Amino acid sequence: MMGRRTEASVALRHSDTDDRPPGVANPLPSPMSATLTHASDCSATDLAAAGISVRFQGLAAISEVDLTVRRGEVLGLIGPNGAGKTTLVNCLTGHQRPSEGRILLGQMDITGWSPQKFRRAGVARTFQSGRLFKDMTVLENVETTAVGLGRSRRAAAREAMDALDWLGVADSAERLAGVLPYTDERRVAIARALVVPPEYLLLDEPAAGMSDSECDELLGFVNEIPGRYGCGVLLIEHNMRVVMNSCSRIVVLDGGRRIAEGTPEAVQKEPGVISAYLGEG
Amino acid sequence: MSDARSAAVAFLRAAWTPAALVAALLAVVVVASALGAEGGQVAITEMLIRVVVVIGIYVFAGNSGILSFGHIGFMCIGAYAAGWAACDPEWKGLMLTGLPAFLAEHRYPMPVAVLGSAALGGVAATLFGMAITRLSGIAASIATFAFLVIVNSVYANWDTVTAGTSSMVGIPAVVGPWTSLLFAAIAIVVAYLFQISGYGLMLRASRDDAVAAASSGVDIRRLRLIAFGVSGAIVGAAGGVYAHFLGILTTDTFYLDLTFITIAMLIIGGIGSLTGAVVGVLFITLVIEVLRALEAGVTIGGAAIALPHGAQEVGLGVLMALVLIFRPQGIMGGQEVPSPFPPAGSGRLRAGRIPESENGKFVEPVR
Ligand SMILES: Nc1ncnc2c1ncn2[C@@H]1O[C@H](COP(=O)(O)OP(=O)(O)OP(=O)(O)O)[C@@H](O)[C@H]1O
Ligand SMILES: [Mg+2]
Repeated sequence: MMGRRTEASVALRHSDTDDRPPGVANPLPSPMSATLTHASDCSATDLAAAGISVRFQGLAAISEVDLTVRRGEVLGLIGPNGAGKTTLVNCLTGHQRPSEGRILLGQMDITGWSPQKFRRAGVARTFQSGRLFKDMTVLENVETTAVGLGRSRRAAAREAMDALDWLGVADSAERLAGVLPYTDERRVAIARALVVPPEYLLLDEPAAGMSDSECDELLGFVNEIPGRYGCGVLLIEHNMRVVMNSCSRIVVLDGGRRIAEGTPEAVQKEPGVISAYLGEG
Repeated sequence: MSDARSAAVAFLRAAWTPAALVAALLAVVVVASALGAEGGQVAITEMLIRVVVVIGIYVFAGNSGILSFGHIGFMCIGAYAAGWAACDPEWKGLMLTGLPAFLAEHRYPMPVAVLGSAALGGVAATLFGMAITRLSGIAASIATFAFLVIVNSVYANWDTVTAGTSSMVGIPAVVGPWTSLLFAAIAIVVAYLFQISGYGLMLRASRDDAVAAASSGVDIRRLRLIAFGVSGAIVGAAGGVYAHFLGILTTDTFYLDLTFITIAMLIIGGIGSLTGAVVGVLFITLVIEVLRALEAGVTIGGAAIALPHGAQEVGLGVLMALVLIFRPQGIMGGQEVPSPFPPAGSGRLRAGRIPESENGKFVEPVR
């Protein structure tokens, strides 16, 4: 029934073919009081993958990847299909135990922790395939995280409503999550990850399958998250224009290896990146 | 003023489902009493006790999405616990030489005995739950069945404590329709409170998508264990009430027949809602009574018709197959009683399907 709109339907849109102005204005109102819940020394609490490798039955999905997400930034993670982006996010959120290497939160080695421990330690994520609780309402979806993180039902409902409100989907609070339009589904997924503000938010292709304007609207929210919640965002996204505009740094994966890292301008000029990813058009 | 009114509406909204269910059962008891049929009282009491059993199973299976075939084992444990507490001490002294003194030398009133049943059922479920909540869905279901077999063998052979294959006799048969209605009402309220609590919410999330639930900070294993314990306590209490209805206990009572009937009730009513659990018991009881009457034979226009023996079981099996084919989510299809106070916190569509990914063991790639 729910058609899965996967990455397969998304063509790469190259930055050189898209010359719309940068800096997407957030079209939705948001409270001016930015709630910086975690004002702290960023470098002390980076989320880092150190020399991560993952093998599935001997086949390497990712090999010796290093990556650091810092509080307050939007880090882009790009790479062709099958490059290992999701696998890396799985490692960074406890869904995949790396075959080699370590996951660090600040000084703490959190390799091998369960997903719920990752979330409780402040590392939240969304899923490429959505994974909303389809038989529950939108509000219950978001409440689940708040309750899971120790809030009372009452407080959970209030905070969940706030998160839905911010993302502009409060009107759908009583609807079943399984019948939402695609764009709303993605917003609810972000609200569910963001409800008790995490320190890190890892977004696995949140805008996949969206039109350019829907994509811009969603990224308007993503860009606001570091300032509003004080968290670090890792963004997997195929739309190069969006990535170049939103991210302060970019990491490029290809064939499970990290082939480049740097500012959007620097990464775009890397020969390896051009041949692996950008150069085809 | 409008505050008081909105508070009243909020209360009605929250209390609607349990209130409607209790009212429905009350109506059944009142009508049956008015009809005054002798056998009717017994049938109604047995039905109400089954309401407690099926609600007990529902608390775990409905919320977690994992079917249990072992809960009648907790009923057995609860029933014998009540027997130990409520039997005549003289008989206990003769037959149950293995009982500790506080049970062997005293006789406890029914409410105390049933509390003991609930406690022992809950403890047994919590201990056993520590093992099964480590398993994934289908393996867990099979393990629950193994548990039933184990309980049955132990209780059938532990002569000094259970009187083995001979019966445990002399439990005061004090439970009738009204007492069992009271226990059914308590079970409804407890199950409903659990369902709307944070535990219920997180369990249902894990039923829909265990991977995403874990990423929401939900400790799935712990929640399943809690639900299993609560559910074992409710079914254990039902066993204690049943002991005080039968007056005599044999281990055969708590085995495959009862397991099959109660599971059929839950699935046909709809595993996805509390209303489904209650409706399933009412509906199947009616079907069984009709089939039983037909087995005994009816006379229509001078011609006597009787169904062959076993028609009851066959009929129930066919009915269950039909429901699974045409209405896989049961009669209620995951819905609670339709509420006149929308938007209710309860009456939403809720499918009761069994999830494919289980227990944090993610065989499929996580995407
Ligand atoms: N659980 C698994 N078992 C076996 N192979 C896997 C598993 N998960 C991922 N892979 C493989 O690892 C490689 C990397 O997959 P991954 O999903 O991380 O890529 P991706 O960069 O997210 O791709 P996409 O852009 O399509 O989402 C692929 O070849 C994939 O088939
Ligand atoms: Mg991916």
